[in-house]
Parts: sequence; C-alpha cells; structure tokens
Amino acid sequence: MSDTSPERAGGATGADPSALAQTIVFSGVSVVRDGRTALDRVSIGFEEARVGIVGLNGSGKSTLLKCIIGLVAPSAGTVAVDGRDALREARAIRRTTGLLFQDPDNQIVMPTVDEDLAFGLKNHGFSKAETAERVAGALVRLGIAPLARRRIHELSGGEKQLVALAGVLAISPRTVLFDEPTAHLDLKNRNRLRDVLHALPEQAIVVSHDLELLADFPRVVMIEAGRIVRDGAAADVLAHYREANR
Amino acid sequence: MIAALARPGSSPLHRTAAARKLAALAAIATLLFFVDAPAPLGFAFAAGLAAARSTGVRFAEIGSDLKGPAAVLAVLGLADWWLVDAATAVSVVLRLGAIALFAHAVTVTTSTAELTAVLERLFVPAERLGLLDAARAALTVTLAIRFVPLIVEEAREIRQAQAARGLDGSITALAVPLMVRVIVRAEALADAIDARGFPPERAVVAPSRSPEIRPDREVPTP
Amino acid sequence: MTTRDLGLVALMAAVIVALGAVPAIPLAAGVPITLQSMGVMLAGLVLGPRRGAAAVAVVIALVALGLPVLAGGRGGLGVFVGPTAGFLVGWLVAAFVTGFLAMVFEAPEKPTWLRTAQLTAAAVIGGIVALYVCGILWLAFFVKMGLVKAFMVSLPFVPGDVAKAIVAALVTVKVRQAVAIERK
Repeated sequence: MSDTSPERAGGATGADPSALAQTIVFSGVSVVRDGRTALDRVSIGFEEARVGIVGLNGSGKSTLLKCIIGLVAPSAGTVAVDGRDALREARAIRRTTGLLFQDPDNQIVMPTVDEDLAFGLKNHGFSKAETAERVAGALVRLGIAPLARRRIHELSGGEKQLVALAGVLAISPRTVLFDEPTAHLDLKNRNRLRDVLHALPEQAIVVSHDLELLADFPRVVMIEAGRIVRDGAAADVLAHYREANR
Repeated sequence: MIAALARPGSSPLHRTAAARKLAALAAIATLLFFVDAPAPLGFAFAAGLAAARSTGVRFAEIGSDLKGPAAVLAVLGLADWWLVDAATAVSVVLRLGAIALFAHAVTVTTSTAELTAVLERLFVPAERLGLLDAARAALTVTLAIRFVPLIVEEAREIRQAQAARGLDGSITALAVPLMVRVIVRAEALADAIDARGFPPERAVVAPSRSPEIRPDREVPTP
Repeated sequence: MTTRDLGLVALMAAVIVALGAVPAIPLAAGVPITLQSMGVMLAGLVLGPRRGAAAVAVVIALVALGLPVLAGGRGGLGVFVGPTAGFLVGWLVAAFVTGFLAMVFEAPEKPTWLRTAQLTAAAVIGGIVALYVCGILWLAFFVKMGLVKAFMVSLPFVPGDVAKAIVAALVTVKVRQAVAIERK
C-alpha cells in the first residue's frame, strides 16, 4: 500500500480486524426469480476486514449482499454468518450486520435526522437513554452532528448518505455491507465517503462500480451472470475486470 | 415533512391538553347539531370567533385560513336560500361557520406531536381488538409524512420534464411514471425497513389476535 | 400486511397528497377540481381493496394530525366536523369498493379496451356512486339539507369525476404493463 499517512494507517489493513469481522459463508447458493438466475451455485467465504465485489449491472452483486442478511431467500443452498443461518436467524444477523443501500432516500424512513437514527436503535431494543447516546455518538463520528434536528428533505444527497450510514453505525454492527455507496454522490461527497470507509474499524464488504474505492482492499471478488469468476488481490482482479470490459 | 397548520404560542388554548380540546370540539359539534334557531347559532358563531381570536391569530389571518371552508359554506348557503328560505340558509351558515371556527382554534393550538400522541393512544385499544398492529400503523403514517415532500417533488419534476417536451397537461403522462416510481421504491424501502430490524420484538408477547407478521420471502422449514 | 405492503400504502398515501398539490382546474363555486380524488381511485385500482383503503386511512390520519394535505392546503379537525366530512370518510369506502371490483373483474387474457372499460366501471361504482352516497348522506343529515338538496348540490361534480375515473383506468392499465403488482 503506497499511502501510509497516519489517518489511513488504522484503516483498511490495520486496527485488529479479526476482533470485529464475521465469517460469512455461501454454500451452493442459487437464487432464481421469475425465471431469471440471479445467483448460480455460489460457494464462497468472507472473513477479511475488507472485501470488494465488482461486476456489471445485473450480475448478482446486490442479490449477494441481500442474501447475507436474509432479505432474499435462496432457491438452493444456505448462507451463514458466524454459523447462523441467514434466514432463520435474520433478526440476530441484522443486529450485527448493517446494509447501506445505494439510494439513501430508500433507506431513511423518518422525517428528521435524529428520529431516523433512533428508528434502527428502537427496533433492536435499545433503551431511550442508550438510543439518545448512540444517535449523538454516530452523528459526531461522521462529522454531521449539526444535522441532528434537520428535516431529511432539506438535506443534500451526500448528507443523506452520511445520515443513512450513521443510522447503520449507531447500532454498533460488526460488519457493514455497502451496495454501491458512491453511485449517487458527487466527487466531493464520494471522497468524503471514501475517507469514512478507510477509517472504518468495522468489517466492510463493498459492492462498487467505483474501482478506485476498492484499490487497496486485500481481496476483491468478480461476479458475472451470478457466478464468481475471479477472486483474489485487488490489483489482479480489478485489472482483469477492466480488461474484460474494455 | 409538511408544515403543520398549528402555530406556536402561549394562549389558554395552547396550554390545554389535546384530548380535552378534541372532546370539547366533538361535544360542540354534536350540541350545535340540535340547534336550529338563528339567534343561539349567532351566539355560537360569535363564541367560535372569540375562541379563534383567543389563540393569537388575527381576524384577517383567520379569514384567509378559512377561505376554503368559507367558499363551501357560501355555496351551501346560497343553495338553501334558493331552495328553501333565508332563515334556513342563515342557520346553516352560522352553525357550520361556528364549528369551523372552533375547529380552527383547536388546530392552531395543538401540535402534530400532541395529536400523534393521541393517535397512538387510540391505536392501543384497536390493537387489542386485533384491528391493527400499532407499531406498523404508526410507521406507515410516519413514512407517509416523510415521503410526501419527496413525492411532490417527483411529481413536479415529471411535470417539468413533460413541459420541456411539449406534452404539458397530460394527466396520464404524470400519473403513470409517478405510480411506477412509487411501486419500485416501495420494494427497496421494504428491504431497508427489514434490514434495520423492523418490527421491534415485543417485550411481552401480546395475545395472538393481532395480525400475523408475514415475511415477503418464504422461510424454508428446517 | 408485509413490510412491502406498508411501503406501498405509505407511498400511495403520499401520491394522493401529491395529486392534491398539482395545479388544478378551478370550477365554479370556489371548490377546485384536483386530481386528488383520482388518486383515491388509483389506490383501489392498483393496490387492491385493503391496501387502497389503508392508503386512504393514512391520508385521513394526516388530516387529523393537522397537516394541510387535502387539496387547497386544507386539513385539521375542521374537516371532520364540516360539510365535506362525508366525502373524506367516504374515500375509505370508495377505495375499498373500487379495489374489490377491480379484483373481481381481473382476468389475465382480456383485450385492453375491455379491461379499461371494466376498471372504469370499478372506479365509477366505487369512486363515484359509493363515495357520493357517503358524502350526500352526511350533507343531508349533518348539514340538514335533506337528501334531494344534498344530491342536487353534489351533482355538478359528477361529470368531472367520471372523466377522472376513465383516466384512472387508463393509468392503471399502463402501470400494470410496466410493473408487476398484485391486488390485495
């Protein structure tokens, strides 16, 4: 890794990832919906602190993420997170595994910032006092404390994405799944999110078209038509992906 | 979030509990239903006007706030004047006007938060009767509040795009894309709501007369 | 109701509100014709009876909470004790009946013109007949107009509503060509 500045040191390859990272295992997972095969006999395990996933639109990347927290039921095979079945123990898994969606407008359900952050916390049974504490903490952590009482529809796209992420981080997950986090962001906000991602101690599995974001990940996986076709170090897989889609 | 009709203030009505104001309004509306003579209705109208003014809103503002209902009243009054007689028309206008003024006084002095609390209290007995699930009902209402500005914005964007292409005015060209966007968004929204752990686990298991929460996706039996 | 149903209901309620905010065609007597009542028909036609009625219930809850969601920025408790209350509550019946009939008439292999005609009929029976029964009864008894006068006062709005029913049917057919959605 060429960048060794202090702020980055504790990021992607530092800060004891093994403590937080969960082991995610796909065993022969197929997902077939309306005659379309979204995933085709996928067997793979993730336990690194950072894993990137690349693939063209419709290749199955989002479906893969959704299977991890039981939002999609496989037609065949099983998905397990630290040994827990993704469908049967979805609730427990969602407590330790957050998902940041592409469009923050689909993720934010409350009219104001603090109410929305509280939503996830209340669902998982945190007390009022803890909720208030964690909401404040998450906002400070992402540098958006001034937004606490703001109304969602007044925020910019970048601010909404950070609010959505704050909502995910507030429950202290061990893993955060990112589904194309910079897709709707302008350059400035994209850089902001990149910096946040670098400094994230939680395990992160990132689906992205923004290949630079994944450049220093220890592992990147390439999906094509529902199958894993390449799996290895970022430099190798990304080069292969670029070449394949010239 | 839509701006509510309530206005901040410290008038006596502002400081009265929401439930009391609602009950009083219902009682007044019911009572006036049985009164037909113009004189007592005139008194009621004056009382309504006083109540509305007591909230701190000026007469001119009351007038502009109520111009919609006033127009409806004018139509009904004229209809009665033409079809029946002047006395009946006057009674109808005075009665409905009085109720509208009292209602205005309540609306202006009761915040959305207070009304939401009343609404949530009403959900509890409804839930015990198995009519609805309080958490889901509350979330649905809040979601609607959250999304109204966004959907209004999308409707305006669609209209503008239409105008730019010279298709101004076609209702279908507005409603179809709007509905399609909504249906697609609902799918993603449902995923996000589930992903964030909704619904919360009940601390005490409620008697199972409330509706079963059925997941969208089939869970294979072990 | 599943989480997806919640989302559809809430967003449909938002659509009904949004259609009240779109510029309207003002008619006589100061009560503007807006697309909002068409939104109610759409709720039934597209989502079905239960979810359609639930969407209307959400709109009614918003009105009760003092939010200006009805066409013309109206809202608050005054509506429930005013002359149009029957029409507002009648929207619940309208959406349910419209949705119910849309389900009854449903059949996959029908020519488009026939489906459109049937959906229009559903919207007319639910969104006009059933709705006006509720609205007129309230006018007749609460406003003490008597049935005949209440009927006559409401009549001028019918032609506009029939036009809306036709448009609602056309919109529904096109929407269902674009996305798959069941009726519940």
